[in-house]
Amino acid sequence: MRGPDLRRLYDEHAQPLYAFLLNLTRDEADTRDLLQDLFVKLARDPELLAGVRDEHAFLIRLAHNAAIDLIRRRGTRDETRDRFAAESISPFAPASDPDKQTFRAALAGALAELPPEQRAVVHLKLWDGLTFEQIADALDIPLNTAASRYRYGLDKLRERLRPIYEEMKNAE
Amino acid sequence: MKKLAELNMDDFEQKLQRQPLRQIPGEWREEILREGRRAAVPEIRDADTASLPKWSWLSTINHQLSTLLWPHPRAWAGLATVWILILAVNFSMRDKSPALAEKSSPPSPEVIVELRQQQRLLAELIGPRDEHDADRSKSFVPQPRSERAQIVTV
Repeated sequence: MRGPDLRRLYDEHAQPLYAFLLNLTRDEADTRDLLQDLFVKLARDPELLAGVRDEHAFLIRLAHNAAIDLIRRRGTRDETRDRFAAESISPFAPASDPDKQTFRAALAGALAELPPEQRAVVHLKLWDGLTFEQIADALDIPLNTAASRYRYGLDKLRERLRPIYEEMKNAE
Repeated sequence: MKKLAELNMDDFEQKLQRQPLRQIPGEWREEILREGRRAAVPEIRDADTASLPKWSWLSTINHQLSTLLWPHPRAWAGLATVWILILAVNFSMRDKSPALAEKSSPPSPEVIVELRQQQRLLAELIGPRDEHDADRSKSFVPQPRSERAQIVTV
């Protein structure tokens, strides 16, 4: 049987997978390894995508599982690193405007403080545009769990970013 | 109902949503796809492993020797040649010496007679001295050093 069209898969899914993995790992080299492993897995097992209803959700699930495995392997050493997330790579594009850059840096730091399961849901909801049903399907969790993780995560971000957000709003 | 809730994001959520994400490095595409192709096609994997050098015990020895002799390989080669020459000469000499002994002809009767005469002459010359020496050794009695000195002077 013919293998999957890797080029098409890469062009359609690599960017959102990259952003998702980078937000979870906060390490570009780890993100690169995970992304490559994912595509090697797809190439080796052509049957993997056979019968999959939502290709993107399925790839997100593979990426999420691999990232969670990596985070667990890292252990305590990298939990400490997550706490000092300001030093790790931001999942957001750098901005030339200092105010925007400050907000993005603060947001990256606040996201890094979220537990990975909340961070994953917040990322998929806000930046991958998935519905709660899709998120629940992708992460293999109940719909209510997906929704509650999002709410908890968002509340923490709101709390953490309130001062800078209010300041920027007043300036506008 | 849920769909409606999702549509009604507040300002804060919308602000977060507008933050652009970092772009994937462009050079990753070819690298990752190449790895994918390599994993997908067994022939490429086999070709890659076949192109690797075979690491036999001979090549290991060669490698070790090269490392050892690396600073002055020509000097080491010259020294080895000299030793090989010395060994070759040594073996050739060892091989020929028994052959020479076997091949040498027995001495002639004149030589034998001459040798016997010389032996007799030698016996005559040495014989009496041997007897004298034997007597002197028998009659020797250790004496104090001072007395021995007197004997010498007398």
